[in-house]
Amino acid sequence: MSMTTETLKANLKEPAIFCCRRRRGTVISAADLEDPSLFDDMAEAGLLTLSGDALTVEEALGATLLADCEALTPILPSIVEGTRKTEKEKSERLAPMEAGEPAGTPFAKGASGMMHIEIKSLEGLSLDLPWPGLFPSEAVAAAAPAALSAAVPSAAQGEDKTLRTLTKKYFQAADVVIGEKTSFEDGVLTLDRGLLEKALQADPLVKEIKMDVIKPADRHIYTDTIMDVCPIAAKVSGTLGEGVTHVMEGAVFMLTGVDEDGTQVHEFGSSEGYLDEKMAFGNPGCADGNDIIIRVETIIQRHTGMERRGPLAAHKCEDVIIQAARDVLKTANQAPLREEICRDVKKHGRPRVVLVKEIMGQGAMHDNILCPNEPCGVTGGQKNVDLGNVPVMLSPNEVLDGGIHALTCIGPSTKEMTRHYFREPLVRALAADEELNLLGVVFVGSPQVNDEKTFVSERLGAWMEALGAEGAIVTTEGFGNNHIDFISHIEQIGKRGIPVVGVSFCAYQGQLVVGNRYADVMIELNKDQKGFENEVAGCSEICPKDALRAVQMLKNKMMGVEIKPAPKKWSQQVVDGNNLLLGL
Amino acid sequence: MKLTVVEGMQSEIFVPITPNPVWSELKKPLNECRVAFITAGGIHQKTQTPYDTSGDYTYRVIPSDIPTSELMVTHGGFDNSDINKDVNAMFPLDRLRELVAEGFIGSLADEMYGFMGGGGNVDKFRTETGPEIAAKLKAQGVDIVLCTGGCGTCHRSATIVTRCCEAAGMSCCVIAALPPIAKQQGAPRITAPHVPIGSNAGEPNNPGMQTAILKDTLNFIAHEADRYGMCKVLPYEYRHNV
Repeated sequence: MSMTTETLKANLKEPAIFCCRRRRGTVISAADLEDPSLFDDMAEAGLLTLSGDALTVEEALGATLLADCEALTPILPSIVEGTRKTEKEKSERLAPMEAGEPAGTPFAKGASGMMHIEIKSLEGLSLDLPWPGLFPSEAVAAAAPAALSAAVPSAAQGEDKTLRTLTKKYFQAADVVIGEKTSFEDGVLTLDRGLLEKALQADPLVKEIKMDVIKPADRHIYTDTIMDVCPIAAKVSGTLGEGVTHVMEGAVFMLTGVDEDGTQVHEFGSSEGYLDEKMAFGNPGCADGNDIIIRVETIIQRHTGMERRGPLAAHKCEDVIIQAARDVLKTANQAPLREEICRDVKKHGRPRVVLVKEIMGQGAMHDNILCPNEPCGVTGGQKNVDLGNVPVMLSPNEVLDGGIHALTCIGPSTKEMTRHYFREPLVRALAADEELNLLGVVFVGSPQVNDEKTFVSERLGAWMEALGAEGAIVTTEGFGNNHIDFISHIEQIGKRGIPVVGVSFCAYQGQLVVGNRYADVMIELNKDQKGFENEVAGCSEICPKDALRAVQMLKNKMMGVEIKPAPKKWSQQVVDGNNLLLGL
Repeated sequence: MKLTVVEGMQSEIFVPITPNPVWSELKKPLNECRVAFITAGGIHQKTQTPYDTSGDYTYRVIPSDIPTSELMVTHGGFDNSDINKDVNAMFPLDRLRELVAEGFIGSLADEMYGFMGGGGNVDKFRTETGPEIAAKLKAQGVDIVLCTGGCGTCHRSATIVTRCCEAAGMSCCVIAALPPIAKQQGAPRITAPHVPIGSNAGEPNNPGMQTAILKDTLNFIAHEADRYGMCKVLPYEYRHNV
């Protein structure tokens, strides 16, 4: 495939390769040369061998071919005459850049407050633009043109504005027991065993329900597949994302499920087995090392496990029990262990960034409940499948106040459980970052129909444009069909000139099924040694280190700092190397 | 804009590569062709061991004369309710038998194959399962292989196996609910009805739509697809309100 004039301009320093057979006497033009973006694939397929001696595109243009030449042949100086003399500066493809090598400084502050730009690959281009007061006294890192244009609104005067404040008060649960009356007194949560009968009435599809308490030392116990881990959090004043929320520390609910035939309620693998081996304790969505786990075991109607109504029924029943715990937590008679203040802040003068979280929306268990009445609850929430999976914006505080209840039961290790959203590391990292102005968190469902995937993705792109976003991170749980829209989201954002970073589990088993050129800065979530969905709940979800890498990658991309392309197969060393660079 | 930067970082996930073309021309009229249907959508006989939903590269033999009431699905990647209603929504065996009776196609392979492509091990499908299925189909004198994926990684596994069949000399087409994956993974021919994953071969209990998708796909192979990688969007739409 030959190059267009536009492609040509962007590839002047790339090797010149004939796209088709060419006859002696041809005067070489863009139409004769192969598009360099295809070189890697061609080399991988064995169709092309790059040579360090080949002329660059700019050298070869206008030269005359001295002999017939086959397609996909590098143009060597010996087979042409009339090459252009240029500075011998080959692209990184032929001379790989060393780690830590400076990315270059194409921009500089010139005299008289003017910005001077020099682009080496275009001859004779030299621009002087008025740029009053852009450069602060501190050293400014090199910036790409997109980043520079984005700096204009950032220079405006103004103060940060707190939009809303959420106070999370944490109360220690020293013990949990099952008894006659639900109460939370002196650090002991007592759950009325009569709640089970009440819970059963929440949905007729749930045929049996049991509850027990698993202490940290007793985790070597068999469990059915883990459908969810849910915090106990209750709204005391205000609405979701503001006011006061009480949170129980040291105790979480865990929902498990099988159907009447004993089939695990699961999708992409299941996590039944010994609990101590089946959860990545301490990860954001999981129980922590010292947590007491209140297990709610459900048996649902046969053959409804892989239909939407079955798993939802289990979550509804569990929520009846959790609600009783929430009600007594609201009137806790002890002093809180600690308080956490979460603020949604409009940070003036900082670049506007958006976090996009793709959530599952294909039906069955691929569904989530948005904005329930109580933090992490079920009642009152909207299901993203029913909303057509269109992008829905939540404020960072709304997310961290339990704005998402996860019904999703995709691969255990990559799914984001309810507790994950309550402690989402990327929301926390972006909200806390003083250099970035986090506009909000967009939740976009992944539909099961290809046309709908395109639809929701295009709507996301339109939102990002309208928001004037200057940077974005796109995450997804799971892998497979949802990667179509995940990659499409990246394209929709990237093609609008907005720097974008993708975050997903891919590794070996989940390697991308589609791709595009905007997916060039990506964060791998895999924590399994062999790169598989290992059926350990929460193992390969977003963890704090992943979040920090993603934020740093975004900043690099926004500032035009080079990020090396990924190797052509999954490599844990790349992840380790990035962690090392960040001291993680 | 002032942001702290760290140099030397590297992207951690690679974008997939579309493999080399693979192509076998169909040289017979449809009514003389022996047709096989394979699926990555998790179909198997009720008496067979279910697939491991977290990833499974084994396959199950499905005799082409088996009643479809003896088939079921084991797949974790999509809502199963459509297949539970009518297995022809993923594996349209009843419709294929009707096409033979009608004389639209010559015959069916005695043995068809089901697998569960979700989360499929790419190397295993490429080097073991795919070549094995292809050899078994070729040995039965099959001319045309039709294939449905199920979920996303199923489409990848489906395409890998389909490419093996094409390479073994049969003319193959992926009936894709997710055509971007079939395309990127290098399917030799693709037809794309507007259907959700889980009913890749058409709406359950809608024999008219299922037959139309099959006929259009077979006609596409015989009369329209003249080079590798062509994709035809089919004018059939079904929405599954899960």
